[in-house]
Amino acid sequence: AAEPWPENAALYQQLKEEQILLSDNASSLAVQAFLQMCNLPVRVVCRANAEYMSPSGKVPFIHVGNQVVSELGPIVQFVKAKGHSLSDGLDEVQKAEMKAYMELVNNMLLTAELYLQWCHDVTVEEITHPRYGSPYPWPLNRILSYQKQWEVRRKMKAIGWAGKTLDQVLEDVDQCCQALSQRLGTQPYFFNKQPTELDALVFGHLFTILTTQLITDELSEKVKNYSNLTAFCRRIEQQYFEGRDKESSTTVAARSAKRSLLR
Amino acid sequence: MAAPMELSCWGGDWDLPSLHPESLTVMAYAKFSGAPLTVNTIDNSWRAPKGDIPVLISEDIVISQPAKILNFLRKQKYNADYKLSAKQGADTLAYIALLEEKLRPALMHTFWVEAENYCSVTKPWFASRIAFPLSLYLPGKMSREALNRILLTRGGPPLYTLTEVEAQIYRDAKECLNLLSKRLGTSQFYFGDTPTTLDAFVFGFLAPIYKVCFPRVQLQDHLKQLPNLCRFCDDILTCYFRLTVSGHSPAGQDTVDANLQKLTQLVNKESNLIEKMDNNLRKSPQPPPRKLTMLKLSAGGEESSPVNRLSP
Repeated sequence: AAEPWPENAALYQQLKEEQILLSDNASSLAVQAFLQMCNLPVRVVCRANAEYMSPSGKVPFIHVGNQVVSELGPIVQFVKAKGHSLSDGLDEVQKAEMKAYMELVNNMLLTAELYLQWCHDVTVEEITHPRYGSPYPWPLNRILSYQKQWEVRRKMKAIGWAGKTLDQVLEDVDQCCQALSQRLGTQPYFFNKQPTELDALVFGHLFTILTTQLITDELSEKVKNYSNLTAFCRRIEQQYFEGRDKESSTTVAARSAKRSLLR
Repeated sequence: MAAPMELSCWGGDWDLPSLHPESLTVMAYAKFSGAPLTVNTIDNSWRAPKGDIPVLISEDIVISQPAKILNFLRKQKYNADYKLSAKQGADTLAYIALLEEKLRPALMHTFWVEAENYCSVTKPWFASRIAFPLSLYLPGKMSREALNRILLTRGGPPLYTLTEVEAQIYRDAKECLNLLSKRLGTSQFYFGDTPTTLDAFVFGFLAPIYKVCFPRVQLQDHLKQLPNLCRFCDDILTCYFRLTVSGHSPAGQDTVDANLQKLTQLVNKESNLIEKMDNNLRKSPQPPPRKLTMLKLSAGGEESSPVNRLSP
């Protein structure tokens, strides 16, 4: 017997306007989209120390009743245990495909976002360092920022991405988008009629890439090349995000304006 | 068409052309697409290739990662994927990402981090194929790199100890094997009747788990419970690599063994039946033995009457 979803469920992420980075914003938006698709209300709470509050060190995390769950994978399982699931209608082969595509997005898109914001020197200097430590006073902001950068660069080196150039990374993003575009085809969602967690994940990443202004527009250009992907993002935004109260929709649009080069 | 291409990679054992997943992937793809590749296995000499293994050398071009090597082969018109639709090509990328994320950590752990496996199998094998004194250093370095990679990519909180990380990666690997098995179903290859890039990658990852004899084999045991994946590996080995144990193709050897077994069973059954019949015969009341010899000795007399009685 599943407990009912409480009214005061909260999703924690970093500060939307000043602090949150591309990859974290993508993950957070994916979870928000997923919960919207399941019709589970959740309010978004922005905290500067969200990353440290999270049980796994990654944002976003949700606080439901007396449980705290972070990251899309565990959240999907948690929601399933509560009795809500988007992928019940899929057969075994389709479920395998869905998991494979989710890994593709994590493997390529998320890693490319991390590369861009932590290993690409210009972006690091001009966007990431100022944003990441912005709620904290000097010198804490620089120390935290460098610490995180060192951590991410170590991971990139271990998986072999440290030696890649930006062009190679963009090519990988292009390949990934091409695969997603071909899989989506002309269908409204990846598994035809009903959205699943894969749709939420893809929406989170692609929408963030499309609406975030970085040093160059090359990343969003790669996504814009595929019209069915932009149409997909627009469709999900209209269906699941503009139906909400006005402030969140204006925030979604405002985010795109605010996400410019900060000094 | 193209200049002769040479591939440097780790050699094989236990019926495999190579023990290294990436080398196996490239070799399998070359066989599937018909690319003429001379394979040089790394041996004790000092001709160590530069860069990560496997390395493809064609004229002056040196290419090192499997994805890049496969791209190069495709550009040289050795394409195993030309029959695939766009969606199937996308599926290929997705499943390869699944293999990398879920199966590779457990594979690396089985080979390089699990202490018993590493000390008794992996280290001696690799050390015997690397020149001294590099053989003292390189296996250790590969082991440390493997552990590092596993911990960095999978070892964050809430998993705090190595045993928890290990438990998680093996769970993920078993789930991945189940997913692969479900996707393969009963077909011979992943996309129909001809093998493609995805088959090369899956084979490259699965075959070492399947064939190499380790002391600690939880992944192999799980794989053996998925008969369609085992059949998939065996098929590729027999059709494309033709490596056999004792001169028979493994499939032939199996049928010979099966036939032998059946024959033995039949013979045993027959002999059991015959024994039973003998026993029955001995136990049942026997008619008195015929005194046929007496017949010849006596011309007539009393014995003739029994003879007359006995003969019809």
